[in-house]
Amino acid sequence: MSVQLLDRELDRLHDLWTDGLSETYRVYLDSVRHFEPGVQEKLALAAALIEVGTRLQGLGSRAAPPTTLLMGDLCLARGSRLLADHAPLAVQVAFARAIETVSSAAASHQAAPPTRVLLQQSLGAAR
Amino acid sequence: MNSARLGFTSSSATEFFDLTERIRDQIARSGLRNGRVHLQSLHTTVGLAVNENEPLLLRDFETMLERLAPVGAGYEHDDFERRFDVPLDEPVNGHAHCRQILLSAFLTLLVEEGELVLGRWQSVFAVELDGPRQRQIAVQLDGDFARSQEALVEAELARQLLVDPEPVSAPMRRLVEAGGKRLRPRLVQLTAALGPRNDPLRAAELAAAVELLHNATLIHDDYVDESTHRRGRPTVAAAEGPERAIAVGDYYFAKATRLVAEMGNPAVTAAIAEALEAICASQIDDVALRGAYPGDRESYLRVIRGKTASLFSAACASGALIADASPEVVGALRRFGELLGTAFQMADDMVDFSPSSGKPLGLDIRQRVLSLPLIYAAEDRDVGPEVRRLLAGTLGDSEVGRVTELVNATDALTRVRREAQALVEAAVRELEAVELDGLRPTLVGLARSAVDRES
Repeated sequence: MSVQLLDRELDRLHDLWTDGLSETYRVYLDSVRHFEPGVQEKLALAAALIEVGTRLQGLGSRAAPPTTLLMGDLCLARGSRLLADHAPLAVQVAFARAIETVSSAAASHQAAPPTRVLLQQSLGAAR
Repeated sequence: MNSARLGFTSSSATEFFDLTERIRDQIARSGLRNGRVHLQSLHTTVGLAVNENEPLLLRDFETMLERLAPVGAGYEHDDFERRFDVPLDEPVNGHAHCRQILLSAFLTLLVEEGELVLGRWQSVFAVELDGPRQRQIAVQLDGDFARSQEALVEAELARQLLVDPEPVSAPMRRLVEAGGKRLRPRLVQLTAALGPRNDPLRAAELAAAVELLHNATLIHDDYVDESTHRRGRPTVAAAEGPERAIAVGDYYFAKATRLVAEMGNPAVTAAIAEALEAICASQIDDVALRGAYPGDRESYLRVIRGKTASLFSAACASGALIADASPEVVGALRRFGELLGTAFQMADDMVDFSPSSGKPLGLDIRQRVLSLPLIYAAEDRDVGPEVRRLLAGTLGDSEVGRVTELVNATDALTRVRREAQALVEAAVRELEAVELDGLRPTLVGLARSAVDRES
């Protein structure tokens, strides 16, 4: 998948793309093979944005400074919009539940399964 | 008080329209529990009546009206040579006017426990006496709206918070219970009444999800703005730390988007997701612009369209979409919401300078939040240089007080008020071309009250 096709989705996030988001995206590509071509890349990017977004925010660890938090929020919102546009309902719901799980664990100071594992499972919700 | 219009189109000279079910719908839609429904004919040749809906009896009524006021019985009203200013299309209808005076132009019906009070055989009729034509009956409902649409949203919010883990639900509950204007959920509910699939409970679910999403964004905003209080209570970040604030915001961001997705309407999901993305992008712009505080009008408008207007617009569109309203209605409401949201934010900016608002004066100035009155004051030929100099430095109590004084000394607040009112009128004009099933007065009233406020 060329980056050009994802260019619109990377508006304001190009620095993040070169700073680790692209590697995270490639990890998720293996989890989206069961989707239609063209959708796979969007869903892999959605998952990567959500993982990177929660990491930027400092969810479950030390709170990010305000400007970094806002960038994390944008990643979550962009990922959510990509899911709304391209994912089956079951996947959208599974992603939301995954974020609910990690954020409620963070609020309770409890350990949660790794975000990546939860999101990879969510991508399998459509099978 | 709740107002509506019931429209119908007659296809013959005399025709009985049974309005009973439509009146029952109005009662259910309004949430009226105990009170009255007032009906008024808006025409001199349409009457109102309560009687039995039995076809042969309706023919008897028609025969009776014909007997009492026959067509062409030499009515003076029909002698156009003796009348002044007779329009070219004036119908010969003296009989219809005379028949109408035998009926009534208005009715009041009782409502008890949410039910229209009618006897077993009673139905409510609008009686066409000079058709075929397009007609309207005005409806007003007053009384006890104890289980109002607002109450449905509050109940849904409480229900959703009840099932969430305490570490996230407790801070959100405090924020929700502290109040707020609930404009976004109200817009969802109103616009959800404009389609053929109007379902108040489903609308309340969507409205509650939109309100949770709005509150989730506020929790993160308060951390970013270092706000200590919101709605008179400590912010989540101030009371429980930024880590908890981030987690609670994320939880309800996710939960709200899930609740919307589970409604199973992809257009609604997309509308809300786009709004959330616009909010987050504009928050980044908002903070970036604080380096050149107070900024300029163009940048300000770009930020508030994302930060505030996008969710107003999505609330209006998604309500209509969930009820399967026509694309024309959805489009008009989307534009209405965007203009109203922009106007609302301008009005909100003015509250920062109003001593009667009940809010701390100058809070936006202290937090360097973009504000149109400040932008206009900074452009003022007389006081602008001092405003800009003060805003460029440290903002203690005396500086904030002085900036407030200077803003009040200019015409900045008047300009912003006029601009907000003009936007509201533009929003109202967006509604003119579409059929709003009698909800136009309510939407217009809500829009105007959103900018004519002190708090």
